[in-house]
Amino acid sequence: MVKDIYVNIDEKISSVKFFVDEEYCHLKIKSEEVCLNCERKPCLSFCPAGVYRLDSNGKILINYQACLECGSCRVGCPFNNILWDYPRGGFGLNYKFG
Amino acid sequence: MEELKFDVVIVGGGPAGLSCGITLAKAGIRALLIERGRFCGAKNLFGGVVYTKSVKELVPEFPNVEPSPVERPVTEEGYYIVSSEGLVKLLHRKKDPHEAFTATRARFDSFLAEYALKLGLEIAPKTKVLDLLKEGQRIKGVIVDRPRAFGDPRPTEIPANIVVIAEGVNRVLTEKAGLIGRPFGAEDVALAVKEIIQLPKGALEARLGLAEGQGLAVEIIGDITACLPGTGFIYTNRNHLSFGLGLFLSNLRESAFKPYELLERAKNHPHLRELFKDGEILEYGAHLIPEWGLEGLPRLYGDGVLVVGDSAGLVNPLFREGTNLAIYSGIMAGKTIIEAFEKGDFSSRTLKAYEAQLRESFIYQDLITLKKLKKHLFTNIHLFKTYPELLYDTISLFFSAQGRPKREVMREIFELIRKKRGFLGIVGDLIKVGRALW
Repeated sequence: MVKDIYVNIDEKISSVKFFVDEEYCHLKIKSEEVCLNCERKPCLSFCPAGVYRLDSNGKILINYQACLECGSCRVGCPFNNILWDYPRGGFGLNYKFG
Repeated sequence: MEELKFDVVIVGGGPAGLSCGITLAKAGIRALLIERGRFCGAKNLFGGVVYTKSVKELVPEFPNVEPSPVERPVTEEGYYIVSSEGLVKLLHRKKDPHEAFTATRARFDSFLAEYALKLGLEIAPKTKVLDLLKEGQRIKGVIVDRPRAFGDPRPTEIPANIVVIAEGVNRVLTEKAGLIGRPFGAEDVALAVKEIIQLPKGALEARLGLAEGQGLAVEIIGDITACLPGTGFIYTNRNHLSFGLGLFLSNLRESAFKPYELLERAKNHPHLRELFKDGEILEYGAHLIPEWGLEGLPRLYGDGVLVVGDSAGLVNPLFREGTNLAIYSGIMAGKTIIEAFEKGDFSSRTLKAYEAQLRESFIYQDLITLKKLKKHLFTNIHLFKTYPELLYDTISLFFSAQGRPKREVMREIFELIRKKRGFLGIVGDLIKVGRALW
């Protein structure tokens, strides 16, 4: 967290156009246990789209619909615990500017 | 689907893949470019400055094209060095305003794609390459996520004599082709976040001192990244500006800062706040920049395969080169492929000429330079914290010296430098950078 700064990432992401693939979630946690034992859970902060969130039980939720497909989580997860793929062809992120 | 065989399949419709495709189309080689986005550029994001010369290599009539992907020519460029209290601007009015221009990826890449289509390159958008077709070590084509035929949902196989991997920074296929030594980690990439910001009418020109047809490209260093290794940037487009930050993913991860919060913090810097006042965010985005350099350079060729652009890691962050290197590497790969078709040999024996060409070019020499710079510069925390503050404080003292004995002010300045970094420290840093550059 940056001091004194609050950003509503959902609002920010709403400026981006997506063609959401409802049938295929292209990101997946390999083992939920690894996440439960991961103390710092850095994915909650470094993901530029806020895709990774915590539910009330401390479980990681994946909001793949808002994924910017940058690949940070693929290499940023300290336990290499994320199965990473792109959305299917034609789906996902669709920049107007980029 | 019969007859689905191509001389060459190119994976990825960014500047590297499209440049290769254009080079091949000009030579009459039957190539298919596969793009997973709805159009070329839909998945791409960059700063973005493009160097005109590289585009001219592909499109000789550039920039006299309609519709033009040029946002603004870069007439002024330089650095903002930012401390927590203020900023020092180092700006340069360019002699040749046509040397570089600003652009957005969606428009620039689709411009190249349109040009390529006219030359006869075939482009299949909305298609993802799932895997490579292999025969032992030899790459024989690709497998895509399109059904094979009506009533046959199996993925389609597309055979080709040569596959060009232009998949971008997330080099999944390059790895599958067996061309990389080790997978890259969080310390090998920078995460860039960027916003396209529209200011009230006339504000962009007024606030940055620009006339119509003039453009600014500025790198920002110091407190803008909360002193983490990395930079910020402001590039002016026709009716909006691009503002963003690039930080090593490993540093970002350690800091536990959220990248979009750092971006917001940067926009709220006391001396930048006015620039962004009443700005509307048209689009937010993020992308990785390959920074693995020479150490992470994959083998650029194999039997039936070549690697170009970001997948190879061809960027120079110091001189904001990336798009141009993608273009040059695409052209070099294209030329090598033309040779391979003349010889009728698609094995490493012929394709290695591409790597040889690249090694002889400035691109490879710069990778060597960057390797040393990276070690001494990008990881030198003083560059992002101590020096920007020192510079601002020193200049502040200098410009507020009126009404005091100047020797006293100079002594104060020297004392400040001695305290913050020390003369030996500065000399040491200079020698390190000097050695890397010479």
